[in-house]
Amino acid sequence: MTAQATVATQEPAPDRLRAPVGRLLRAELRWIFRRPRTLVVLGLLTVLPVITGVAVDLTANGGAAPATGGPGPDGPGGEPPIFVTMATSAFVLPLGSLMTLLMLLLPLTVAMAAGDALAGEQSHGALRGWLLAPVARGRLLVVKAVGVLVVALVAATLVVASGFVTGLVLAGADNLASMSGTELSLGEVLGRLVVAIAWATLYLMAVGAVALAISASTEHPMLVVVSVLGGLIVSGVLLQISALDWLHPYLLPQSLGSLVDLIRDPVATGGLGEGAFRALCYLVIGMSLAYARLTTRDG
Amino acid sequence: MRPRTKALVAAGSGIAVGLGGLALTALPAGADDDPVLPAIDAEQLVTSALEATPPAFDGVAEVSNELGLPAVPGADALDFESVRVFHDGAESARVQVERPTSELTFVKNTDEAWAYDSQENSARQLTWDDADLAAARERAGQHAAKQGHAEARMADPAQAATEIIEQLRPTSDIVVDGTARVADRAAYELVLTPKPTEKTLLREITVAIDEQTRVPLRFDVYANGRSEPVLSLGFVEFEVGAQDAGLFEFTPPAGADVKTTDAGDVAQARGEHAGEAGEPGGPGESLTTVGDGWDAVLVGTVPAEALGQDVAGAGPAGSEGFLGGAGSAGGGSAGGEQDLAGLLAQIGQPVSGEFGSGSYVRIAVGGAIVTDDGRVAAGAVPQQVLVDALDQQ
Repeated sequence: MTAQATVATQEPAPDRLRAPVGRLLRAELRWIFRRPRTLVVLGLLTVLPVITGVAVDLTANGGAAPATGGPGPDGPGGEPPIFVTMATSAFVLPLGSLMTLLMLLLPLTVAMAAGDALAGEQSHGALRGWLLAPVARGRLLVVKAVGVLVVALVAATLVVASGFVTGLVLAGADNLASMSGTELSLGEVLGRLVVAIAWATLYLMAVGAVALAISASTEHPMLVVVSVLGGLIVSGVLLQISALDWLHPYLLPQSLGSLVDLIRDPVATGGLGEGAFRALCYLVIGMSLAYARLTTRDG
Repeated sequence: MRPRTKALVAAGSGIAVGLGGLALTALPAGADDDPVLPAIDAEQLVTSALEATPPAFDGVAEVSNELGLPAVPGADALDFESVRVFHDGAESARVQVERPTSELTFVKNTDEAWAYDSQENSARQLTWDDADLAAARERAGQHAAKQGHAEARMADPAQAATEIIEQLRPTSDIVVDGTARVADRAAYELVLTPKPTEKTLLREITVAIDEQTRVPLRFDVYANGRSEPVLSLGFVEFEVGAQDAGLFEFTPPAGADVKTTDAGDVAQARGEHAGEAGEPGGPGESLTTVGDGWDAVLVGTVPAEALGQDVAGAGPAGSEGFLGGAGSAGGGSAGGEQDLAGLLAQIGQPVSGEFGSGSYVRIAVGGAIVTDDGRVAAGAVPQQVLVDALDQQ
């Protein structure tokens, strides 16, 4: 039943001590994306931007919309207020959805993957095989971390892509205005969306690294998810307390707001850079803890 | 035992590196010692600051606001996190006031100025030609005529501070009080204190002036009886260098609500109304200044239909009395439909005098009286000075 069992048996004799990482990775990924819960949560992540877009679009164009004065070029029943127009554009909708989902649902997805990666396998007894297999602990961690990374990347990409397509359908390709009032070309928008995906992936990977560290120390995947969500919620609460502002730079969700800067023109890179750096710090902490825990773990 | 040591080393160094990095982001910027600069005469510094033309630069400014503005419409104009300023070294400038989920963008080049509000998707365009410019220059004296939207100038620390110095210079005692490091640049600290004859609630205003370029980098306003500044606006990043010309062009996005005003028309309208009004700003306000310097009081009328926008309408007065800008800067955006009279009844206290009666609203650095017949007087002064100003009208 476990992936490594096949790996170990297929291994030719002279190379016994080194299983090729590529094959391990493929096995790990196949494993992750076969789990129904991964697919369900990814599907949910794809649908949410669509729901947001359609809901906002309906409130804007429906009868309940407050009619503003000027006759708009589009929309026979009067122009929708800007906020709404912008929220459904193929530029703002993906970024807005990404920002909203980055608060809880995307970290939850990553935490789930990380929880399954070590704690989950441990609870099934599958990790024991990994630990006994001719795979160094460091490489085992790399394989698991890449698995989490792929989940983060796929999840972020799905959210952005689904938001982008929804925006294109709802508002068309010619309504790509930045918050500073400048029109952006489709290419520029795509470029920024790619930056957003990369940034979000790094952020999620920071969450994932911490989750992996917890995952390496327990055999209850539920505990991983709970601690990560709990940590995020506590951070969120602490961020609301202005008396603790000296603490805020140490909290990962502090950098979430800087994603808005991608809607500004020109893009202010300061906040995004700082957020990326903060995520890297968390990544280093999480991975080193996970490594330490995994190397001392007995089969 | 070996894996155990390895694990401890890995965990220890990883945590140390990570926490070190996080601590790095938590370091306050510009915590260095004050720079040592050649001594300079206050008068000399002021003159050079006023005459200096800002170089091409871009910067990020942050505001801290303890004014205690009541929640009247328009007060949200100062409710922003940071401002990005781009300047091409000549006429053109771009000021972006960043709010958590929206932005106000001001673009000014040689012959037009734009103000764009992303929340409303509305753009205001202001155009002028050489004749308007000449006329404005004549009114403003030898200083270069300042075209463009006044809110943009209030949000840009360099311009706001220059205007403060210009306005308050005759009625202030000015000294250079040491140096400071602002946005990682060496700067002189200029302190303006009101002369004893000034009836103001302010204690002093400090302006940090860049040593090299003589651009004001930060200003802090202190009120009587408070040790912390009530208003502080200053650059946290400031970089001299050529800017992309495209930054100073603006085309409103499709679907935006665009209003165009010509400076000549505004000046004319102003001429009919109030005479000595400063410059083309927004359309339609008539404002006069009673007194000058620190105890200047702005008196204006609130058109009945614009009651919702009230004090915010005074924004373009930035050059006339600095509080006209500070206390009431902005473009009365969100919530403009609220019933001002009702609000005033809640937050104000009734006052009456020869002028009639009205409500007095006090904030940390001054106050405003809105009379029942729609006149407004505002300034960084005690209540009685406001009443006197209204009585004089």
